[in-house]
Amino acid sequence: MSVRLLALIPVAVAISLALSAAVDAVALPLFLDTTGTILATALAGPVVGIAVGALTSAVNTLRNPTFWPFVVVQIIVALYAGFAARAALFRSLKTAVPAGLGLGVIASVTSTPISYFVFGCTTTGGIALTTALGKALGLPPLGACFFGSFVSDFGDKAVTFALVATVLHALPRRTAARFPLALRAIGAA
Amino acid sequence: MTPLALEEVTFWYPATETPALRDVALEVAAGEIVALVGKVGAGASTLLLVAADLAPRVTGGRLAGAVRRRARSGIVLPTPWTQLSGMAFTVWDEVAFGPANLGWPGHEIARHVDHALERLEIVSLAARDPVTLSGGELQRVIVAGLLAMDPDLMLLDEPTAELDPAGARSVWRLLRLLAGEGKAIVVATSELDAVPDVADQVVWLDDGAVRAIGTPQLLAEDAACDDGLGTTVARIWRAAGLAPPYPLTVADAVRRWP
Amino acid sequence: MRTLHPFTLLAVAAALPALAWILPAPGGGLATLLVALSLTLTPGASPGPAGTGISRSWRPGLVVFRTALFTAAPFWLFLLLLHDVRTTVAIGLRISTMVASFVWLAAVLAPDRLVEATVARGWSVTAAYLFAATLSAVPVLKARARRIVEAQRCRGLSPRGSVANRFRALRALALPLVLSALHEVDERTLALESRGLVSGARRTSLAPPPDRVVERVVRWGLLLLCLAALVRRLA
Repeated sequence: MSVRLLALIPVAVAISLALSAAVDAVALPLFLDTTGTILATALAGPVVGIAVGALTSAVNTLRNPTFWPFVVVQIIVALYAGFAARAALFRSLKTAVPAGLGLGVIASVTSTPISYFVFGCTTTGGIALTTALGKALGLPPLGACFFGSFVSDFGDKAVTFALVATVLHALPRRTAARFPLALRAIGAA
Repeated sequence: MTPLALEEVTFWYPATETPALRDVALEVAAGEIVALVGKVGAGASTLLLVAADLAPRVTGGRLAGAVRRRARSGIVLPTPWTQLSGMAFTVWDEVAFGPANLGWPGHEIARHVDHALERLEIVSLAARDPVTLSGGELQRVIVAGLLAMDPDLMLLDEPTAELDPAGARSVWRLLRLLAGEGKAIVVATSELDAVPDVADQVVWLDDGAVRAIGTPQLLAEDAACDDGLGTTVARIWRAAGLAPPYPLTVADAVRRWP
Repeated sequence: MRTLHPFTLLAVAAALPALAWILPAPGGGLATLLVALSLTLTPGASPGPAGTGISRSWRPGLVVFRTALFTAAPFWLFLLLLHDVRTTVAIGLRISTMVASFVWLAAVLAPDRLVEATVARGWSVTAAYLFAATLSAVPVLKARARRIVEAQRCRGLSPRGSVANRFRALRALALPLVLSALHEVDERTLALESRGLVSGARRTSLAPPPDRVVERVVRWGLLLLCLAALVRRLA
């Protein structure tokens, strides 16, 4: 791995974790905690993205120990973002947002079994409450758990994809050209 | 043997048409200090990256011409906080980062690090966490980190930008000492008043090309003063309508005062 | 505890939650939780590194124990909301073991010792760099994010009102943060290259933490214990 990609990884993890300050400031129900994973993948491919995802989970674990098993979701996100970048789906918001919605579904499908079997759907307060709502609506336990994960992931991943596409387009070409996948991700190569 | 020679070097950054350096030729001898001066964007930083073998190897881009290095080089970049290794939790470990990466034995590392801390007058900071330091302290730590790697060719980009006048003077004094020990030094600086006492050779860069090479007396010429690159004393002497050649430093001016 | 080899601390913090899930509930979870909670009361456990959310202002002594309890408490509430008492106790004990083990680990694991341990073990410098540089970068970028929020507010950015307004505000906050961070990657790369960081290279360990035979035995023992428990559970 080149030193440039090595230097990118800690910065991308920090981006994922620092964005919570921006989210808190605008009071939107988002996490954006996969931004660094998706951005690093779009710039440098899924191997770098997986490293960012694993480290993000590790650092998150220091804050909330229940985050660690969800490292699997971060890896799936990196792999999906890798396909999206190769297919140039970051070329506009019109392609990035649907791709993000698709990831929202995949991320909820991946996180539901972890959330259900390991934590009894109590990973975060928000997910616990939406799961309770799902139960109240008459969904079976696993369905209610999926409902909880889906509500939290679906919009979040679409906004994350839109944000990453905006960043990639705002990046000077001279800078973007130094990363192996960046120009292809925005359909410029 | 010349530690660094650039022959007709032209360099383009990636995804750009206009070269950042154009036909630059330069030789730096052991024991010599070369100062690079010019306006912002003149190409001094790029020239240092080329000399350090970072451009185009790391930056990407394209290089025409030839660069001959016959010495191990090290570079200090302009912003100290982006040069922190991120791997060290004390100043001592931060300075030891480079030598440890070179795989030197522990006692060699300790000797070089202690010596570098002494020379930069930051022994008292050795146990501090680098992220708690001021900009000026950090700049000294980064220069110490370069020194600890014991390069024969030292490349410095605005090494005194974050320092107070006393701190800047001590860094310039140190560079003269190091040159006296045989190191070749290239320094890009906008602190023009320091250049006459520090540099043996001045390279004036303009729009990526060498406009003039000469002794520091270059900074007292009309052309340099017109471009804002004269020393303060030279510009005042000229503005007062006093006769050329203009003095470079306060000491020169005192000698010449009628 | 801080004098133990970092790999031993990691092994203990990994083995306890693993055993909590492998051993039959509720006895297994109760046993592992008791061990984990008693670890949080051992001397040498101090408030965790910056950015972990563990406050330094708390009274020393019970700091780590209380942090573990306060972090685990909400899960019991959520579990009761969603499950019957038996399931709540089973899952609650497991989650609490995990929380207590990791909170204890964050308090006793000195990042510099872990970096030196990996280097001394002959691992590539890449792993040590990624771990240490990430821990350094997170608080720096979090502080910058807060400064950007304050600066944009001073310039009249309103993060309230309609959802569209909030998204516009989010863009104005997130873009400068991400772009400035990416710009720094370039300078960091040049600095690391010039300071001899080469991916995969062997680096000199500056202060290798001592690794006693008894600690190695404990680590292997924990691994075997987990495997034996798993085999017995699956049998």
